[in-house]
Amino acid sequence: MENAAAKTKGFGLNQAIPLATAAMAGVFLWLGLSQYGFWHDSKGPMSGFFPIVISSALLLVSIATFFQSFSEKRPTLPFLNWLPAFGVVLTLGATLLLGMVPSLALYVVLWLRLFEKYDWKTTLITTAVIMAIVIGCFVIWLGVPFPQGLIYEAITE
Amino acid sequence: MENINMLLQGFSVLLTWQNVFVTFLGAILGLIVGAMPGIGSLAGVALLLPLTYSFNPTTAVIMLGSLYYANMFGGAFSAILLNIPGDSPAVMTALDGYPMATVKKRPGQALLVSNFSSFIGGLIGMIILTFTGPALANIGLKFGPSEMTALLLVAMTSIGWLVGENPSKGLLLTLFGILLACMGMDTLTGSPRYDFGNEYLLGGIPFTPFVIGMVGFSQVMILMDERLVKAKEVTEKLTIRGSLLTKHDLKRLLPPALRSGVLGTFMGVLPGAGATAASFMGYAVQKSFKSEEPLGSGAVEGIASCEAANNGAAAGSFAPLLALGIPGSGTGAVLLGGLMLWGLNPGPLLFTNEPDFAWGLIASLFLANVVALMCAWGVIPLLIKILSVPTRLIIPCITVICIVGSYSTSNSMYGVLVMLISGVLGYVMHKFRYPAAPVLLAFVLAPMLESNMRKSFIISRGSLDIFFDSPLSLAFMTIFIVILLFPAARAVFGSFARTKMETAK
Amino acid sequence: MKKILAIAAIASLISAPLSAGASDFTPKKDIEWVVTSSPGGGSDIYTRFISDAMTKANLANGKTFLVTNKTDGGGEVGRLNVSRTAAGTRADHTLLTFNSGDLMPMVKNTSNRLANFTPIAIMAEDKQLLFIGESAKYKTFDEVIKAVKSGAKVVIAGSKGDDVATYEKLIKELKFTEDQLAFIVNDSTSAAITSILGGHVDLVMSKPAAADQYVVAGKLTPVLALSSTRFTGNLRDAPRLSEVGSYQDVEFPVWRGVVGPKTMSPEAAAFWAKSLKTVAESEAWQKDYIGKFKLIPSFLDQQAAKAFMTKFEQDYLKSIGK
Repeated sequence: MENAAAKTKGFGLNQAIPLATAAMAGVFLWLGLSQYGFWHDSKGPMSGFFPIVISSALLLVSIATFFQSFSEKRPTLPFLNWLPAFGVVLTLGATLLLGMVPSLALYVVLWLRLFEKYDWKTTLITTAVIMAIVIGCFVIWLGVPFPQGLIYEAITE
Repeated sequence: MENINMLLQGFSVLLTWQNVFVTFLGAILGLIVGAMPGIGSLAGVALLLPLTYSFNPTTAVIMLGSLYYANMFGGAFSAILLNIPGDSPAVMTALDGYPMATVKKRPGQALLVSNFSSFIGGLIGMIILTFTGPALANIGLKFGPSEMTALLLVAMTSIGWLVGENPSKGLLLTLFGILLACMGMDTLTGSPRYDFGNEYLLGGIPFTPFVIGMVGFSQVMILMDERLVKAKEVTEKLTIRGSLLTKHDLKRLLPPALRSGVLGTFMGVLPGAGATAASFMGYAVQKSFKSEEPLGSGAVEGIASCEAANNGAAAGSFAPLLALGIPGSGTGAVLLGGLMLWGLNPGPLLFTNEPDFAWGLIASLFLANVVALMCAWGVIPLLIKILSVPTRLIIPCITVICIVGSYSTSNSMYGVLVMLISGVLGYVMHKFRYPAAPVLLAFVLAPMLESNMRKSFIISRGSLDIFFDSPLSLAFMTIFIVILLFPAARAVFGSFARTKMETAK
Repeated sequence: MKKILAIAAIASLISAPLSAGASDFTPKKDIEWVVTSSPGGGSDIYTRFISDAMTKANLANGKTFLVTNKTDGGGEVGRLNVSRTAAGTRADHTLLTFNSGDLMPMVKNTSNRLANFTPIAIMAEDKQLLFIGESAKYKTFDEVIKAVKSGAKVVIAGSKGDDVATYEKLIKELKFTEDQLAFIVNDSTSAAITSILGGHVDLVMSKPAAADQYVVAGKLTPVLALSSTRFTGNLRDAPRLSEVGSYQDVEFPVWRGVVGPKTMSPEAAAFWAKSLKTVAESEAWQKDYIGKFKLIPSFLDQQAAKAFMTKFEQDYLKSIGK
C-alpha cells in the first residue's frame, strides 16, 4: 500500500535518520572528549574511551549513509500508523488522573468502539478478556503497584 | 559412572508427590510468566520466593528452578504469535518465529519447532551438566576479563552477519546501539555518563522496555496498515493435525538445535553472559551454516538455533550456581538468596555436603524439561486461536500488554516512556528499512565488551600483553584477527585472481 | 568508629526520655516501603525480613507493608521520590531502606542529601576483609605490601559502593597509589569472587557473608581484616592492618538503616523507631538474619542514627571534595 506518487529525490525524511545519528554522535563525542577522559597511563581506557571511538565511527558512517540516502525511495508514514502511539500518550495522561488499570480499560473500550466501530458486545467482551489478563496476572499474582491516579489518592488521603 | 548414580539418587529424592507437583506448578507458572512481555524469570522467581517459605528448601528450590527453566519455553510464545518477545532471550525467536507464523501461515509448526528445540537444547545442557558438573563451572572460571574481551570481540563480528543487505545501515545501527548502552552509570569509575542531568538516565536505558517498544510496539504501529487486509485472511490450517511437524521439519531443526544447545550451555557458564546473549549467538552462528530458507523469513533453523541456545544457557547457568555458588544472572542471584535463607549454602561444598539437594535439583530440571514440553504442547491449540482473532481487535490488546509489561519492569512510568519512544523509533526504522536486530545485539554485548576490556587494562596497567597471555585469550584473539582480515584477504585475493586471469588470457 | 558509636550511644540515652512520650501514632493505612534495588538482593531480603517480622509481631496495627522495588536511575529516582513526599498521612506511611552504599552514590551523583530524610534507625553493620585465592602469588598481606613496594602489579577485586570507599582508605593508609595497588570495581561481590577463583586477580575484598562458603571450602583464605577488631570463627586468623606493620587499622563503616521522608511527623518516626527496636532485639532477628548473614548487630535509633548518618555523610563529602 505504498503511495506510488512518493517523491524519490530531494532533501526530505530519508535523510532524517543519518542526520539524527550524526548529531547524536557529535554530542557524545563532544561530551566524551571534554568530560569523560580518554586514556589513563596505568588504568587504560577511561569512561570516555569507548564512547569516543564509537561515536567517531558513527559520525563517519552517518555521513556515508547520508549520501547514500539520497538515492533511496522515500517511504510514506501514514497518519494511521501513529494512532497507537497517540493512544498510549492519552492513556498515560488519563493514568495520572484515573490510575493505570481504569485508564487501560477506558482506552480499549474507546478504541474499539469509536475507532474500529465494533458493537458493544464485542467491545465489552474483548475489554473483559484483556483486563482479566492484566488484573489476574499483573495485579493479583505479581502484585505490580500500578499508579492509582490523583482521584483515588485524593479520596483515600 | 558415579555421576549417573548420583543423578539416579537425585531422581529418588525428586519423585515424591509433593516435589513432582511443584515441578508441574513451577513449569506452568514459568510458561505464563515467560509468555508475558515485561515479566521475565527474575520477577517471577523473586515474587514467588516468599510463597515457598512454607515448603521445605528442596521442594521450594525445585519449584523455582522449574519456573526459571520453563520461562525460556514461554518467552517464545508471544514472540512467535505477536512478534512481542516475552522476555529478552526470545527476541531472536521473533525474527523467524513471527514470519513463519504469519507470512508462511504455519503457526503451529513454529510453536512446535520452538518447543522441541527448547527441549533439545535444555536436555543437552543438563546432560553436560550431569557429566561434568563442577568441571563445567571451572571452565567458566577460566574466562577472566581478557578472555571475555577476546571472546566478545569475536561475537561482535558476528553482528556483521545479521546486518543484512545494506551493510552501512546495519553498521550505523550497531554503533547507535552501543552508544545507547553507554548511557548510565559507569561502574568502573562510579560516575554517571551521558545522563544529561536526568535522574532516570543515571540508570541508563532499561533493556526490557526498550525491546518491547522496538520490537513489539513498533509492530503494533506497522499492523495498522495491514489490519483491514489481514481481517479478510482467515487462517485455515489451524487444527492440531495441520500443525504437526513434518519429518522434513524435524530433520531441519535437529542440527541447529544440537549445535546451539552446546553453544548455549557453554555461554550459560561464562561469567556475565546469559540466556539473552546465548540466544543472540546461537542465531548469529546459524547464519554461517546452511539454512533451507533465508534466516529472517520464517526459517525453521532460525527458531531452532536461538531457542535451543537459550534453554541450554538456562541449564548451563546452574553449573556455576550449584558448584561454586556463583549466580550467572539476576535470577540466579535471587535463587542464591533464597538458598541462603533456607540455610543451604551453595558453594564449592554443596555437592559434597548436600548431595541429595543438589542432585535432586538437577533431576528436577530433567523433569521440568519434559513437563514444560508437555504443557507447551497442550497449550498450542489455544495459542493458535489467538492468531485467528481479527487484527483490529488485537491491536489495542497488544498495546495494553506493552504498556503493562514495560511498567512492570521497574514499577514506574519511565519504562512505559522508553517503550513508547523506542516503539516509534522502531517503526520509523522499519519504514526506512533499517534493521532492528543489530541495535539489540549491540546493546547487550557492548557493555560486557567495554567493561571486560577496561578491567583487563587495569590488571595489565595499560599494556596489551594481557590479551595474548593465556591460551584462551590468545586463541580467541587469533580467531578475531583472522575474521577481520578474511574479508580483506578475500578482496585482495579476488582482485589478485582476476588480474591473473586477465594476464593468462 | 568507636568514637562515633560512643557519641551516638550518649545521644540516644539523652533523647530516649524525649521520644518515649511522643508515640501517639498508629498506622492507619498500608505502608509503602521503598527498596532501591532489585528483588532478591541483599537490601530486598533485609526489607522483607523486617517487614515480615513486624507484621508477625503485629507491630503495624494490622496494616500491610507494600514493599516496592524502585530501581530507576540506579535507585536515585526512588530516593528522590521519597524525599519529596508531601507532609501528611502519606509521609507517615512511607519508609525507605537506606544503607551506606545508597548514601554515597546519592550525594556523589545527585544533589539529594540526608537532610531530605528522617533517619529512623540503623539495624546492622558490616565490615570487609581481603582474601586470597587458592593459587595466590602472595600468601600474606605482608607479602603483598612487599611486592607492591618492589614494583609488582597487584590487583584487588571488589564490588561497587562500600568496597571502593574502603579501598581508598586502605591505600591512603598504606601510602600507595591507585596504580601500585589497583582496584577493579565489579557489579557485585560474586562477580569479584568469580574473578579470583579463576586466578585473574590477586586479592578480593568481601564482606563475611559472601565469602563464607568459600572459606569453608578452602577456596578463599582471609589475609587482612579491615576492622579495628579481629573477626571470629573461620575468619579469626586474619590480622588487622596494625598487626601487619606500623599502620593504623583501616575500616569503613558499612551500615544498613531505615529512613522516612523529611516530612514524616515526629510521632510517626518515634513509632517506627520503637517497632524497629523491637525487631532488632528479637531472637529471630539475631538468629535468622544477623547470624545467617554474618552481620554485626548494632541498633541505633532515631537521634543516634541521625548523628551517625550525618557524620558519615560529612566525612564522605569531605573525602570526595564537596
